[in-house]
Amino acid sequence: MEIFSEYLIKIGNQFIDPKKRVFVAYIAISIIIALGWFILNRKLSLKKAIKKIFDKKIFFSKSAKSDYKIFFINQLIMMIVSPLLITQLTIATALYFYFHSIDWLSVGMFKNTLPIIVIICFTSFQFTLDDFSKYIIHRFMHRWPILWSLHKVHHSATVLTPMTVFRTHPLEGIIFSLRSSLTQAVSISSFIFLFGNSVDLLTILGVNIFVFLFNIFGSNLRHSHIGIRYWRWVEYIFISPAQHQLHHSIASEHHDKNFGAALAVWDWLFGSLHHSVEYETLELGIEKNQKDETHNLKDLYINPFIEIKNYILRRLKKLRNKAYSINIKRRIFHEN
Amino acid sequence: MKKILLIATALVFSFGVSKSFADGHGPEVYGPYPITLKGYDGDKTNSVKYTGQMARQVLHDSLKKLVKTGDLEKMMAYYNGEDGLEIIAPKSKDGFPVMQTMVSEIGSGNLSGKMYKGAIPGWGGLTGPETLEHMMQKASEVEGGFDPDTGFDYTQLISKFAMGAVFYNQAVNNYLGKKMKIGEKPNNKPYKDGAYYTGKEHSWDEAFGYWGAPAHSLTLSAEENYNVAKMKDLAAADYNGDGVVDLYSEMLYAHAYYASSYDKGGKTNYLATVNQAFIDGRKVIRDAGGRNLNFEERTEMLAARDTIRENWQKVIAESVFKYAGSTYKDIVALETIMEANGDTTDAFRKYAKHWGELKGFALALQCGPENLGEAAVKMNRMMGFGPVLLNASQVVGVQSNGNFIKDQAQDWGEFKLHMLKIQKLMVDEFGVTARANDQLSAMEDLASTMGSSDSAEND
Repeated sequence: MEIFSEYLIKIGNQFIDPKKRVFVAYIAISIIIALGWFILNRKLSLKKAIKKIFDKKIFFSKSAKSDYKIFFINQLIMMIVSPLLITQLTIATALYFYFHSIDWLSVGMFKNTLPIIVIICFTSFQFTLDDFSKYIIHRFMHRWPILWSLHKVHHSATVLTPMTVFRTHPLEGIIFSLRSSLTQAVSISSFIFLFGNSVDLLTILGVNIFVFLFNIFGSNLRHSHIGIRYWRWVEYIFISPAQHQLHHSIASEHHDKNFGAALAVWDWLFGSLHHSVEYETLELGIEKNQKDETHNLKDLYINPFIEIKNYILRRLKKLRNKAYSINIKRRIFHEN
Repeated sequence: MKKILLIATALVFSFGVSKSFADGHGPEVYGPYPITLKGYDGDKTNSVKYTGQMARQVLHDSLKKLVKTGDLEKMMAYYNGEDGLEIIAPKSKDGFPVMQTMVSEIGSGNLSGKMYKGAIPGWGGLTGPETLEHMMQKASEVEGGFDPDTGFDYTQLISKFAMGAVFYNQAVNNYLGKKMKIGEKPNNKPYKDGAYYTGKEHSWDEAFGYWGAPAHSLTLSAEENYNVAKMKDLAAADYNGDGVVDLYSEMLYAHAYYASSYDKGGKTNYLATVNQAFIDGRKVIRDAGGRNLNFEERTEMLAARDTIRENWQKVIAESVFKYAGSTYKDIVALETIMEANGDTTDAFRKYAKHWGELKGFALALQCGPENLGEAAVKMNRMMGFGPVLLNASQVVGVQSNGNFIKDQAQDWGEFKLHMLKIQKLMVDEFGVTARANDQLSAMEDLASTMGSSDSAEND
């Protein structure tokens, strides 16, 4: 019974906690931005804009329904798994201890820095490091076959809704949680070690100010059918919703582009940036004519394991064949 | 009519209050408890007696003061509890008069006979009495109880170690340990021939005396208890309102003092928890009415005993935690001064004092009933036999003639890190929660501001 109420609280928190992406206020702001976009940019009437935003075909599609179900299931899984994962504090403590053994570092070496500067630096550093680590992980998710088997669950969405953010395989969720713990630990331990107790986070409603800004500027529109584009020069710095939607496109020219979360600079620096394009409809998913079965919960949760197993078996077979052919070559060489 | 109503209300209210006290719902006082010994026909009405323990509390306080004088003969007199000793501490002061001036007015006893007899690994494996006597000998050879060549602050070392080796050891190992066993000091017999209290009653009372709380401690807040020990709050101390503080029943000492110091921070409730457990256990013994305790009663009494042991151990671990944090801060300060080629005298003295408290409490912690095993080994190694000295040397052992062995010290950075690891060890092993001088709390606070890192979300 306690677990059940804890579960309900966890679900509710996703919508009432400003630290969460789908916090109701962020969703409301996203709707206002979308309305503005359709009315001012696309010259649609208010009625048409509303109809377009709340498109039944999208929100009641098989793909979207899977997103909702996965959301409920994953919350439960993460509730059980999270306490077993290493926390940011454990890693931070180990790092803090480690810094003591580095000769050229001394604890509190910059402790006389003006607190406001420390706070601004810490908040920016944390946001940037977090965003960069998301970029790196995301890139690996696409490049490494085992990780792609997991990440494919997210890309199997054929329509995008704000809830698609939760369309994540639990194993991938664990990887993301560890990433988050590690980045938080690095920033916390290094800043406290160097600057002492004046380190703090600049927040609005308890959220890192940059994360807050990212969210009120319509982060939920990244996973939506509303292709808001930024000016070209802005898209070098921030990922626009249309840029992220393009990341979900099945067109080969869009493959492995725009891995960034909030910042586009990583894509720009590492050659994976693609500017947004004007489109009426963008085909989303993992392949053309994607089957409806790809939205079945069983397939979404189990298939990654089968694919990973098959991949490992294939690799082992390859290795065995390679060893076998080397052996044959050796025998021929000795016989000669 | 109104007056009658008021009087009636007041009567009902006072009846309610007094009843709730009698039922044990209000704050309780330790004793008096009736005589339950079967066949007793003397004129005593209160079976509670722990005069020897309070005499030892005063001997300890006085000995602590004496260390600075370096007078070995006097230190030994208090250690051995000789006759005709004047109370050196606590002494009357303006606004806080105490009742007794001689130790014998409280009771008789010594510290030497009650020492922890086992080996002390953190002090070269000497036995408990050898360790304390060695410390006193060394204290007599230096000025003001402090040896700048070794960094040993004997006032702190002697005081804190004695608190563990006598008070903690006697209470948890002997009176609440050995003497609580079935067949030991039975409740249907006098504690000793001619006594008016039973075996279990007196054993329990003696343990309470070693804890060091005033009998009315539960009627006071942690802050008030703390101020009693600091001799700042006569009203809180003087429970019977006779204008003076009875050092036997109205004063707060040693372990109870440290408990109050942590509790006033609001995160813990050690003092009241232990006091209540002492009262709960004592009432079980009282209610047995002079017969041996049955299974249920024993279970209840032992549960109270376990609460006392567990919390008492935590109080000592809190002190280890606190002084590891102080030592860490002192090292950081020393490093800054050394880098600037400044005068380190005062900072070094402060560092040595805090390290001495850390060491003393760490040794005390090892005088309890359980073998701390790896935790003790780690703790002893990390803090070292002696503190790291400014010339990069450190006491690493003691020769058979009592002289210290010095060697190259651990690196300052490593030593500093060890203080943090000791703090972590106290959290992991003993679950300390008051965490005074927490050097890792800033990280914890920041981590909680940032919130949970679990996120099954695809950005």
